[in-house]
Amino acid sequence: MGTLVTIDTNIQETVNHYTAYRPKPFTREERDKVTILFGGLTWKHERLMQGAMHNLKYKAEPLPNIARDDLDAGKELIDVGACCPTIFTTGSLVNFLKKEGALKGKEEVAKSYAYITAGACGPCRFGQYHESYAMALDGLGLRDFRLFLLAQDELDQGENGGGGLDINLSFSLGLIWSILCGDVITDLEYATRPYEVKPGQTDAVLKECIEFMYTVFNERPDHGKKLGTLAWHLTTSYFTNALREVRKKFDAIEVDRTRVKARVKITGEFWLQTHEGDGNYNIKHWLEQEDSEVVPPPVAVWLHYLMHPVIRRLEHRHSTSKHHKRDEMILKLLERIYVGTYNRFRKALANIPNELPDQVELKDLAEPFYHFELRGGEGHMLIGKALYAYHHKKAHMVCELSPYSCMPNTMSIGSMANVIGKYPDLLYAPIEVKGDAEVHALSRCQMILTEAKKRAHAEFEEVLKKTGLTVEAIHEYEKHHPELRRATYKIPHKGYSGTSANYVLHLAQDRGLARA
Amino acid sequence: MGFLKELGVASENIVFSSDTSEEQGREFGKGRGTVDCCYPVKAMSGHYGELIFGQKKKINVLLSPMIHSLPSVLHGHVVDTVTCTRVMAGPENIKAGFLKERDIFAENNVVHASPFVSLGDRHMVAEQMYTSLKDVFDLDREETDRAVKAGFAALDDVTARIRQQGREILTWCAENQKPCILVLARPYHMDTGIGHEIEAEVQAHGYPILWLQYLPGDLDLMNWLFESDLRSGRIKNPFDISDVWTSSYSSNTNEIMWGAKVATRCPWITCVVRLSSYECGMDQPTYTPAQKIVEATGTLYFKFGDLDSTKPAGGIKIRVETIAHYLGKYSQEIIQRKLKYLSPKCPLTDLAAHSPAGAGGDVREAEEVTINVM
Repeated sequence: MGTLVTIDTNIQETVNHYTAYRPKPFTREERDKVTILFGGLTWKHERLMQGAMHNLKYKAEPLPNIARDDLDAGKELIDVGACCPTIFTTGSLVNFLKKEGALKGKEEVAKSYAYITAGACGPCRFGQYHESYAMALDGLGLRDFRLFLLAQDELDQGENGGGGLDINLSFSLGLIWSILCGDVITDLEYATRPYEVKPGQTDAVLKECIEFMYTVFNERPDHGKKLGTLAWHLTTSYFTNALREVRKKFDAIEVDRTRVKARVKITGEFWLQTHEGDGNYNIKHWLEQEDSEVVPPPVAVWLHYLMHPVIRRLEHRHSTSKHHKRDEMILKLLERIYVGTYNRFRKALANIPNELPDQVELKDLAEPFYHFELRGGEGHMLIGKALYAYHHKKAHMVCELSPYSCMPNTMSIGSMANVIGKYPDLLYAPIEVKGDAEVHALSRCQMILTEAKKRAHAEFEEVLKKTGLTVEAIHEYEKHHPELRRATYKIPHKGYSGTSANYVLHLAQDRGLARA
Repeated sequence: MGFLKELGVASENIVFSSDTSEEQGREFGKGRGTVDCCYPVKAMSGHYGELIFGQKKKINVLLSPMIHSLPSVLHGHVVDTVTCTRVMAGPENIKAGFLKERDIFAENNVVHASPFVSLGDRHMVAEQMYTSLKDVFDLDREETDRAVKAGFAALDDVTARIRQQGREILTWCAENQKPCILVLARPYHMDTGIGHEIEAEVQAHGYPILWLQYLPGDLDLMNWLFESDLRSGRIKNPFDISDVWTSSYSSNTNEIMWGAKVATRCPWITCVVRLSSYECGMDQPTYTPAQKIVEATGTLYFKFGDLDSTKPAGGIKIRVETIAHYLGKYSQEIIQRKLKYLSPKCPLTDLAAHSPAGAGGDVREAEEVTINVM
C-alpha cells in the first residue's frame, strides 16, 4: 500500500545525482544483429552453451579464455581490493571491448554486443560482479554497452531487458543440459588424460567430442517454450545417444592405469575451481604434469546445492509458502529428476564421471564445523566436500582454490582448522589465488602433493603385495584383454583413493587374476 | 540483555568482553587465529579468550550468535538485509581456533552457544533461539517466545532513543546553521579498537557526529530530503536505494548507500567520513559509488580505508587536521548550496528564521502537491 505524502514544489535548483548503471533495452528486433557475450565456465561448457543459444537463433559468443593480461586490465578500472575472479572476469570483458572498439569504434561495439552473466548470490561479491563491470564500462566510455543479469533460481524468467532475451524453459533447459553434458565430458577427460599412452590424444578426442556435442545442441529439436520442452528434455534419449557417441570416440584412447597418480580433488570458490586457465595458474594442468589425477568440480554440484536452502527452509517451516508440504515434495521430486538426469548422462559415459555427492550428507558432514545456513559462496560445501572425499576415499588430497580476500571461503578455511584437528591425516591444501603469485601458490600445493604422491605409491605397493601381482603380469594380462586399456573401461571403487590401486584390486578380485 | 534478563539471568551474571584492543588480542587470542581475514573477525579470538581466561568469576556459557540478517530501516525496500558472510560465519571460524588442538571450551567448563539467528526476520527468531539454546538454558518454547519479544523490545527502544538523539543533533545544526559529520561505516567500527576512535578525533574539533546506524529515519525529514526524487519518479520511497544500488542484499551495504544518499541531500551534513576495514569485500564494490553519491552536491568525503589492528595515530591526526581545515573553510558554502536543492519547508526548523538573510529572507511561499509514495 502506498502512503500519501505532501511535497513542496518550490525548489530553486536541481542536482545531478549519481545513478547506478542501467542497461538500455535489447529489443526482439535486434536479436539478429546483436551478439550475446558470455563466459565464466570452461571452454567446453561455453561451446555447448553456445550451441544451445544458436539453436534458439541467438547470436552468441563466449569471451576468450581468461589470460594473465585480463588481471591488469581489470585492476585498472575497478576499485582496489576486489577478489581475483571479479578482476579477471571484468578484465576479460574490458580487453574484448577494447579490441573490438579499436576495430569497429565504441558506438558500433555498444550496438552490436550485449553481455549476460549470472546475477545474485546473496551477499557475496559473486552477486555484485556486475557493479565492477559497470564501473569498467564507465571507465571505457561505454556506458551504452548492455549488460544483463540472469537469476540462477528461475527457469522461466520471461522476456528480459527489452524482449531481446527470452529466458523461457527451452532457453534455460538448453543451458542447464549443456552444463551437465559439459560436466560429465570434463570428468571423463580428467579421468583419461593422466593415463593416456599416446600424449595429446585425449585433448584431440575431447576437441572433436565438444564440436560434435555443439552440433547436438545446435540441432536440438524444438518442443515449444513450456511444458512440451520440459517433458522432452526429461524423457528424450537425444542427449544420452549423443553421449554414447562421445564414449565411442573415447574408446579409441589407450590408457595405462598402472601409472600411479595422486588423486587430487579440486574444491573452492565457484569460478576459481571451475576455471581452466591463467585465472587459477592453470593449476589443474600443472597438477597433471606433477603426476596427479585431478577430480574436477562439476558445475552440477552448485546447481544441486541451490535447491537445498529452499528445501531446508520448507522442512523447518521457515518459508513464506502456505503449502510447505506440497512445495517440499515437488522440490524433492525435482531434485530426484535432476540427479537422475545427471546419472543417465554418466551412464552413457560408462559411469566414469563421478556421481554427484548427496547434499544431505555434505550438510551432515559439515554440520559440526560449519552451519548449513551460513550463506555466501559455497557455504558449508567446502568442508562437506573435503570430508566426503576423505571418508569415501575419493581422493588422496583436497586442493581448495580461494581468491585472495574471498569472504565466505576464508571463513570455511578457518573452520577447516577444526576439521584437520579431528582428522589430522586429511591432506588439505588451501591455495589463496591472487592471480599474480603463481610460484607461491604452486609451491604451497606442491608441499601437500608430495605427501599425497607418497600415499598413492604406498597404497599401490600395498595392493600389489596383497594380491601378489606385478605390473609386468598386469600388462601381460592386458595384452589378452585389450578392453582393459580403453579409456572407457570402468574401474570400480574398491576402497582405495587411487585409480591404480583400485585397478589392481579389481583385476585380482573381479577378474580372477590373483588372490585377494 | 533484554533476552537474557527475561530468561531470569541476573545482570551481574552477564559479562561482555571489553572493547577490542591489540593487547586483548595478544594476551587472550594469541595462537588462536586460523586464517587471515578482516580485523573485525580476527579480533574475535581475543574476545573469546578474554571471556574464557580473563574473568575472575568464570563464565559458564559463551554466547556468540551467528547473525544471519539484521533489522534495518530499509527492510521491505531492499532485496534482503543479510549480514556480511564473514560476520555471519565468524563464530564458526573463531571456534575452530579453540578446538583445533584440544577442546578449550570443555577444559574450562564453558559451553559455546552459537545460535543462528535471523534478526531481520523476527518471525523466525524464537524458533531459532529455542532450537539452539533449549539445552543450554533448559528452555521451553513459551519462555523463549517471551524472551525474544523482550529482546526485540529492548533493541527497538534503544534504537529509537539514539535515532531521536540524531534528530536532535540535526535540529540543532539546522537552527544554528552549523555543520555536522556523518560517519559511513559498519556497526563494528563503533568499537574503539576497530574504528580507532577516528570520529572522536574529528569531534574534538567541535563538529557533532552522526553515525549512519542511527540516522533519524523520520518520514517528515526523509520526505523533505527526497522530495525531488519522489516527484521525478527516481525512487518510490525515501528508503528506496534502487537508483544507486541494485544488488541490495547486504544490510550494512544497503544502509551505507542510503546513508550516502541522505548525506548528499542533507544541508547540515557537510562532510562524510568513511571507515572501512582491511580486506572488507563488502565495502570494496561500494567505494566509488558511495563517494560519487556523496560528492554530487559538493559534500566533503574522506575515507579511512584498510583499518587493521594497529591504530595509525600519526596518519589519523594529519588527516583529521585536513578534514577540520576543509570543514571550516567550506561548510557554510555547502549548507547554503544544498539548501537551494530543497524546499523551504524544513521539518527541523523554520529556515526563514535561520537563513543568513534573517527572517523574511529569500524563502518563497511553498506550493504543495500530493503524491502517492509506494
